[in-house]
Amino acid sequence: MGHDKQFTDAPKLDAGMADKAFKIAAAVGAVGILASVGLAFSGDEAKHQFFFSWLTAFMWCLTIGLGALFFIIIHHLTRATWSASTRRIAENVAINLPLMAILFIPIAIGLHDLYHWSHEEAVANDPILKWKAGYLNAPFFFVRAAVYFAVWGGLAWFFRSNSVKQDESGDEALSFKMRRLAPVGILTFALSATFAAFDWTMSLDPHWFSTMFGVYTFAGGVVSWFAFGILAIAWLQKSGALKHTITTGNRHDFGKLMFGFIVFWAYVTFSQYYLIWYANIPEETAWFAHRSVEGWSNIGALIIIGHFIVPFWVLLSRHVKRFPLSLNLAAVWMLLMHFVDLYFVIMPTLHHHGLHFHVLDLTTLLGVGGVFVAAFAFRFKKDAAVAHKDPQLLASMRYDNA
Amino acid sequence: MVAWLIWEGTGIWGLNNPVGWGWAIVNFVFWVGIGHAGTLISAILFLFRQKWRTAINRFAEAMTIFAVICALVFPGIHVGRIWAAYWMLPLPNQMGMWPNFRSPLLWDVFAVSTYFTVSLLFWYVGLVPDLATLRDRAKGKIRYYAYGMLSLGWRGANRHWQNYERAYLLLAGLATPLVLSVHTIVSFDFAVSVIPGWHTTIFPPYFVAGAIFSGFAMVMTLAVPSRKIFGLEDFITVRHIENMNKIILVTGTMVGYAYAMEFFIAWYSGSQYESFAFVNRAFGPYAWAYWIMVSCNVITPQFFWFKKMRTNLTVAFILSIFVNIGMWFERFVITMSLHRDFLPSSWDYYRPTMFDISTFVGSFGLFFTLFLLFLKFLPAVAISEVKGVMPQADPHWEGYGHHGEHGEEAAHG
Repeated sequence: MGHDKQFTDAPKLDAGMADKAFKIAAAVGAVGILASVGLAFSGDEAKHQFFFSWLTAFMWCLTIGLGALFFIIIHHLTRATWSASTRRIAENVAINLPLMAILFIPIAIGLHDLYHWSHEEAVANDPILKWKAGYLNAPFFFVRAAVYFAVWGGLAWFFRSNSVKQDESGDEALSFKMRRLAPVGILTFALSATFAAFDWTMSLDPHWFSTMFGVYTFAGGVVSWFAFGILAIAWLQKSGALKHTITTGNRHDFGKLMFGFIVFWAYVTFSQYYLIWYANIPEETAWFAHRSVEGWSNIGALIIIGHFIVPFWVLLSRHVKRFPLSLNLAAVWMLLMHFVDLYFVIMPTLHHHGLHFHVLDLTTLLGVGGVFVAAFAFRFKKDAAVAHKDPQLLASMRYDNA
Repeated sequence: MVAWLIWEGTGIWGLNNPVGWGWAIVNFVFWVGIGHAGTLISAILFLFRQKWRTAINRFAEAMTIFAVICALVFPGIHVGRIWAAYWMLPLPNQMGMWPNFRSPLLWDVFAVSTYFTVSLLFWYVGLVPDLATLRDRAKGKIRYYAYGMLSLGWRGANRHWQNYERAYLLLAGLATPLVLSVHTIVSFDFAVSVIPGWHTTIFPPYFVAGAIFSGFAMVMTLAVPSRKIFGLEDFITVRHIENMNKIILVTGTMVGYAYAMEFFIAWYSGSQYESFAFVNRAFGPYAWAYWIMVSCNVITPQFFWFKKMRTNLTVAFILSIFVNIGMWFERFVITMSLHRDFLPSSWDYYRPTMFDISTFVGSFGLFFTLFLLFLKFLPAVAISEVKGVMPQADPHWEGYGHHGEHGEEAAHG
């Protein structure tokens, strides 16, 4: 059972390695953002495209951050032990959520380009939008966004700062303090993440609605957080950190949870589609009708196969989850598929007539993603890469799941 | 009563037009939902290596089987000609008649019968080693032979255990998706329609959460008195009760989330029918049922945020009764969305007749009869499994008096 295990690794990642990753990611992010902004000014069509591409990249990073926040809250809520060795990674991802507020600025600027309901003349001529105007209006939209970022930022900051404080004192009272906030955390998290999904992606088609949409966005986010976490573990261990602290068993569990949430994602996605298909009410099927035209239907098929069928069979195997290379490849694939999934939700609003790739899709992804990863790597420069004085850490290292 | 019901037909129920589905579906969904907790405990918690489950797994699984039997009473009667119930199965026949494969009610037939079969097998396989123990300790010839037959020649050999463990794991793996599929399909009964208040995309996970919620409440209702009466306090400890209360809290909160989403989207959809259905639920003639549902399902479980409440047996028992009531009313509220349909001239109010009530009360009688028979003749706690998770079973156990961290870990595992 690995009873002899002790914490022997250096708690910190080598500063040079953290700096290197930070600089590379920051450079990619800067180039991506500059190229995107440059392209955005090249014409009206490109400007329009810029906002949609930015929103896709933004949602991609945001959902990863929310998945990480969820992981932290559940860790404290359930008094988990196994996840003590990897919790700092999640904390460093979730602390990017306040940063997402800055990355939200282009969306605020592009409100009229993105959201049909933000045009007063459109609302005036549309009884349904008039009905919804109490909720879908620009001032309230921004107030809500501010509330979401305050909730997420507050929670991420609270959990990370107390956890870092514990690195010095090893005081168990800090664990209790974090546990006490977890119930409030999970309730506010669930509501804010749901309404953010309604606001930022569902309202792109302001007539369409689905009670499942919040759960659907959440499920995709959790899958991609586990994928991100797996790659972060690979990066840390390749840089020589935490080689003995994060065990094969821990990685295996990340793989299992990613698998589990892939199945959950498939379940909610299928239910959402299937119920709308079966009832066949025009106001609901319109959303899928836009996505079944030539081009988009291929992306839909790719999502079914690539986001569920293939990873399901591949990740079912125990060996795939325990062997680093195969698990890492699966994680890269799932991050890509999550992007495709969001692309499928967001982009048909702009291109209803069919799939239309644009170079901005790539540059915004590099820009937002680069900034996100750079900020993540930056967190490893100063503080420990693991909550090394967490009273649960040894239990986490000894935890045997083979 | 049931005989008269079968003789006379379902006309003597309180059904009317527009309320074409009444208590029968409410009770069916109620009982099937209760069954889910048993499978969750026995199969899903097994796959999650939650060892604390062993103490409650056996009778929770028994509860599943009996609950499904009770559930089947209602569609059985509701088909009207119970002697032709086998027509629901797709049997080739010279009339070329087939059931309607497009109807989720037919999928229910398949889903529930598969679920019942697998649950029964899973329960029975788990029982085999215990039946052998009972055989070896039987007093009297009849018992000896009866348990001997049922234990299938179990001698506790190494090969037996090896096959047993593998079969158990496979059945647990099979039962897990069935838990989801059964209640998902039950939710499809409503959600594939175009009825406002029934057709909403969150129904499948919401129903599954609700099923587990109601099932755990029923396990609690059964566990608290039976541990007292049979002196099982050392097997079913306060920690088990507390864990179950946590699950009740989690699933109850999920159900609350689903209610909130339904309400918000009903308004947000801009569909006046959707909005009406929900306003009518909360403030219409059935408002009393709606508020019973909300207070029992969403508000009462919130007490379980506090450890004092979770570990208090009286509170746990009382709240579990509230949840049972609330979950019955949830299905009632959903079904009663029918009472004000698209045509105001046909609006009506559903009143259960004595036949509705007596069939429902009868199903409780059936359930408790089966459950008490089970307690009398079969081990209510899985003997062999509990032995396996005792600290003494650990190869690293260091004997009495060593309260090392290992025992702690196993207990929290």
